[in-house]
Amino acid sequence: MLLQVIVSGIATGCIYSLMALGLTLIYKSTEHVNFAQGDMSMISGFLAFTFFQFLRLPFIPSLFLALLFSIGLGLLMERLLVRPAITAPHFNIFIITLGASIVMQSFAGLVWSYDQFPFPTLFPAKNIILGGVRLNTNALGIICTTGLLMLALFLFFKYTRIGTAMRAVSQSQNAALLMGINVKRSFALTWAISGFISGIAALLIAPVIFLSTRMGLVVIDGFAAAILGGWGSIPGAVLGGIALGVLENVAPYYFPSQIRNIIPFAVLVGVLVIKPTGIIGEERRRRV
Amino acid sequence: MDLFARRGSVLLIGAGILFFLSPLILNRYTIFILNLFAIYALVSIGLNLVMGYTGQISAGHAGFLAIGAYFTAIVGTKMGWIPPVAVLLAAGLFTGIIGFLLGIPILRLKGFYIAMATLAFGVVVSEIVLQWSSLTHGDDGFRVPRAILWGFVFDSDKKLFYLVQPITLGMTLMARNIVRTRVGRAFLAIRQSEIASQTMGIHLAKYKTSAFAVSAFFAGVAGGLFAYVITYISPDSFSLGVSIDFIAMIVIGGMGSILGSIIGAVILTGLQQLLSGLPEVQLLIFGVLLILFMIFMPRGISGMISDWWGAGERRPWRK
Repeated sequence: MLLQVIVSGIATGCIYSLMALGLTLIYKSTEHVNFAQGDMSMISGFLAFTFFQFLRLPFIPSLFLALLFSIGLGLLMERLLVRPAITAPHFNIFIITLGASIVMQSFAGLVWSYDQFPFPTLFPAKNIILGGVRLNTNALGIICTTGLLMLALFLFFKYTRIGTAMRAVSQSQNAALLMGINVKRSFALTWAISGFISGIAALLIAPVIFLSTRMGLVVIDGFAAAILGGWGSIPGAVLGGIALGVLENVAPYYFPSQIRNIIPFAVLVGVLVIKPTGIIGEERRRRV
Repeated sequence: MDLFARRGSVLLIGAGILFFLSPLILNRYTIFILNLFAIYALVSIGLNLVMGYTGQISAGHAGFLAIGAYFTAIVGTKMGWIPPVAVLLAAGLFTGIIGFLLGIPILRLKGFYIAMATLAFGVVVSEIVLQWSSLTHGDDGFRVPRAILWGFVFDSDKKLFYLVQPITLGMTLMARNIVRTRVGRAFLAIRQSEIASQTMGIHLAKYKTSAFAVSAFFAGVAGGLFAYVITYISPDSFSLGVSIDFIAMIVIGGMGSILGSIIGAVILTGLQQLLSGLPEVQLLIFGVLLILFMIFMPRGISGMISDWWGAGERRPWRK
């Protein structure tokens, strides 16, 4: 029974990992914090919903179309909101993405209303019994999809030319510029990838928690996950997400069930008070 | 120059007298709005002290407002004989202590981490209010008892005007004095560079925690006044969205400016009341304003005003 809860916790955790990963990628390349990551997800979910529900497109192509749009949304954010203020302090970009988050939420509320909509799942709903543990196929599907995406990202950053260039930019923008890397394009690409991840997250999470304008709040779990793992570290984001998901699913077993609502916040406060660098983050010292 | 200054202060006092006589001719709703303006101006001045002056983002000020409001409501119910001014002062001090305690762990954090920690604080406060229903009535909300001062009952917006406005005026002057003294200059120095201000002998821990404490004090008093004016409070009144509205107020009004805090509070509260039937449109406008101001006018309306009057040079941290 506990094992089953842990597996579904890992599945929830995968979604948090995806959120945390999107945040971390952007942070690593430009040190910007994107508060609108969850709302980008929400918009992608609603777009997919519109394609197959109102425009009557077939289900799978609508999802792909929505993913394309989510990439576009990432690029749009970078071009319209971040680049005009690229020289401003990071504080300003944080406030700008906060504004973007409000705009996306109210926009979605105006277009699609504040109701909740059921979202069909990608995976057949069946239970598999594996070694005496009853496993939900949806949870397994989420875990596998996330795993594949992470693997693809790892290969991309490790072995492709563009991926290597992007890693170079995240280490030092000036040095990368001197090596002839197009830094601006690299920033745009980071946002595009981040948008794509938010789109995938939307398709995985919407069947579980229903599609609604409040879906964007998952970004807070993403922050909690990234900080728990170690802010700015990609393995940390993945690990933190899974740890948070498991914690959230296991805690109601031992404590009153309302505790579930405040776990991400308790984790945020707890980690920041006890060890702000998280599980595997390292302390950064800045030169004056 | 002297003459102008004198004429300016005469004008100001005249405007003040007119303002305090205005409830005699204004209707109930307008007075209610003026009270709301004052309450949000207080929160926004407090937030500006910690965010605009000291440079620590707080995304949890609705939590402080909630603590002040519930403190006032609970004390008002259990000990109704205490005069409202004393209750408000106690609410402010209690919230201030909480702000101070929150400031201690935050000392170790920087920039965006502070935003996340305060955001979590705000949400945890509203969750505690929701769950601790034996004290706060949880989701049902709390009907706040009327403020009674020596038998005089503040039972109309007009009467409350004379409770809310003098307190706001007094605290605005207090904030103005704080930012003009060495404390305020220390805040500004911390905002510019923590390391540089430390080398100049500014006690970082002391000033950062006191910035949080003072800011929470303002929000706590505002919360108490909010409880008296709204008369019914529930956890919904203090959600994350409210904290973000406060950030929008000081960004639009102008960070690091008392006047800006008031302007921002008036503009956003006004918009909120104008568009109260269309909450989506109102939020959309808030978001767009937040983005546009941050990209094109990061110093807000008060920054624009001071450039226009050529008083910009006097700003110690002008870039």
